[in-house]
Amino acid sequence: MIDVRHISRRFGRLVALKDVSFSVQPGEILGLVGPNGAGKTTLLEVVSGLLPAESGMVIWRDAPLAPAERKRAMFYVPEATIPYPAETVGRVLGLFARLLGNAHERLPGTIKALRLDPVMETRVGDLSKGYRRRLLIALGLLAPQPLLIMDEPFDGLDLRQTREVIGILRQTANEGRTLLLSIHQLVDAERVCDRFVLLSGGTVRGEGTLEALRGLARVGEVGLEEVFLALT
Amino acid sequence: MHLPDSHKIHRPWLGTLFAKEIRDLMAGRAFWLLLLLVCLLVGYSYIQAVGLYGEASRSAGQLPEVARNLSPLDGILVPTFGALYLANTFLFPFVAIRSITHEKETGSLKLLLQVPPSFGAVLGAKIAALAGAWVLVAAPALSAVALWMMAGGHIHLPELANLLLGHWLYGAVVLGFALVAAALAESGATAAIITLAATLGFWVLDFAAAGDSGILKSIASLSPTALLRGFERGIFSLGSALAAMTAALGLAVIAGILIDLKQNAVRKLTLTATVLTSAALLLAGAAQLHVFADTSQDRRNSFSPADAETLSGLKQGLTVVVRLAPEDPRYIDFERNILGKLQRTLPNVKILLESQSRTGALEEAYEKYGTILYEYGGRQSESRSTGVGEILPLIYSLAQVTRKVTPPDPPYPGYPLEAGARIAEVWFYGVLPLLILAAWITSQGGVSFAHARRGVRNADNSFLDEGKNAKGDLT
Repeated sequence: MIDVRHISRRFGRLVALKDVSFSVQPGEILGLVGPNGAGKTTLLEVVSGLLPAESGMVIWRDAPLAPAERKRAMFYVPEATIPYPAETVGRVLGLFARLLGNAHERLPGTIKALRLDPVMETRVGDLSKGYRRRLLIALGLLAPQPLLIMDEPFDGLDLRQTREVIGILRQTANEGRTLLLSIHQLVDAERVCDRFVLLSGGTVRGEGTLEALRGLARVGEVGLEEVFLALT
Repeated sequence: MHLPDSHKIHRPWLGTLFAKEIRDLMAGRAFWLLLLLVCLLVGYSYIQAVGLYGEASRSAGQLPEVARNLSPLDGILVPTFGALYLANTFLFPFVAIRSITHEKETGSLKLLLQVPPSFGAVLGAKIAALAGAWVLVAAPALSAVALWMMAGGHIHLPELANLLLGHWLYGAVVLGFALVAAALAESGATAAIITLAATLGFWVLDFAAAGDSGILKSIASLSPTALLRGFERGIFSLGSALAAMTAALGLAVIAGILIDLKQNAVRKLTLTATVLTSAALLLAGAAQLHVFADTSQDRRNSFSPADAETLSGLKQGLTVVVRLAPEDPRYIDFERNILGKLQRTLPNVKILLESQSRTGALEEAYEKYGTILYEYGGRQSESRSTGVGEILPLIYSLAQVTRKVTPPDPPYPGYPLEAGARIAEVWFYGVLPLLILAAWITSQGGVSFAHARRGVRNADNSFLDEGKNAKGDLT
């Protein structure tokens, strides 16, 4: 679906991304996993066209996709965002449903699925961390783009909420959308993702299914955490 | 899988974006505080102006000559709108800055940059909403005009329209600076400091150029404050108006370039340099425009119709060499009464200032100091006079033309008025602040929120309730 090729990005002398390449297959949930500071957020912002890369490109259906065109193919939900804190949840959802295209029909289902009903009249700035996260996920689900990119979608959610959101994301993938998720909690990543890109120090240390990564790391039937430690 | 066709997912989002910006403005305290402060400032300025005008009008009862000098433009309009100038300089930029930095700081901008409307549309909606906000900011000053007229005061509409245009253009340029500062800075506080540095920089430039005749004066003449001063005197200059619009538009485009997260630093610099170069060329072109109109009712900025018609027929270049220091009162008088009018009337006039100092205090001993040399068609004449009655016949003599005869303008009668300020005090210190406070409270979701919203709702901002309706569908 999308090939990310040879992306590099620096901030002054700090190399944030170095020759990063990976691919995203249609209908899959790809997990971008790595510790804090691995370059996950930078990579997602570069891929979604919100941050310029020094080199590299994004290929969509065998043709390069310019940064300005990427919002037609993908929608990125950033992590540290409080959209319009003075407005109520209902207004923010209504605004983006309108701006994102014909998303009104998806609005009731999205609100119900993410259990946002009790806070529809609450100002975004007054929401708990968990509700803020669910609001951001709702905005992502309302977006019509075929590729949905989310930065730390489980951050701030408790165990029960995380499981619910995992179910929603899986259903979204089953309906034909493709998801690229940045996750630093490897247990969560293992639960939801079909394949993984392991990122550490701005470079890709491995890409594939858990089984393939185990083979790459030459380890037995261990979890993603052990695989990650073996490869980084 | 194909990319969604941007044409298919386009919706009437311009109205949606505009409504969002209006909501965002109303949601912040900055806009309401601005309105309250402008209300009090305008009220104070108007009440003071009415008082002073009334005192001057009392003595005009005995002296018709004094009455002829009483112009509502100088006595009422300019002081009252002076409060709007303060708001444009010190308060309105903060509202403009907030409209960008708030979205940057909360991360909302990253979401907004991914919706189908182009970034130009997003920025355009912001500017349109700010323009709408400016109209509200100007409303107290306009209400003062209404009070003046209700009290029997005279208003010459071209003067008022020209003054309003001047303040609007000034506000647009300051808004441009504020947008660029907001795009550059990481926080609202930094953006505010940058904007204030720019606006105060113009004040310093004007002050420094006051006694200068060289390049500093030329640069200072391009400042927004110098532009506004012309409009306050009743002069409409097409070149100045176009220059201000070019500057405001150029700054808005630069703000758009700087805020666009997709562009790297080199690309931003290249685009900014291109816009600056284009704007500089347009500004240079606007400076060449020689289209003026004197909107003042007493025609203070023009020669008499007969002189204006005679002078406009002089096709060759007139050179005026002034041997006076820039701060010499004779020069200031000469510039206001003769030079400015000559520059606006004659198609080709060149003015040279020959002075060794700013004040001329040490040049008085110099024999030629104080003389003014006129040169036209190879002929020269010199005079020490700074009066219209002596200078214009001298120029006609050099040009070998006869003064045309046209019907003279009716003399300006002057409009003395002793108006009371009681109603204005109640309006500006009581009713209007209460109305603003009530609007503030209702816009924050108070008891009559739904009712207040009804007034601004239209087909394009029905998004305001869509989330709520969606919830209703579930129950």
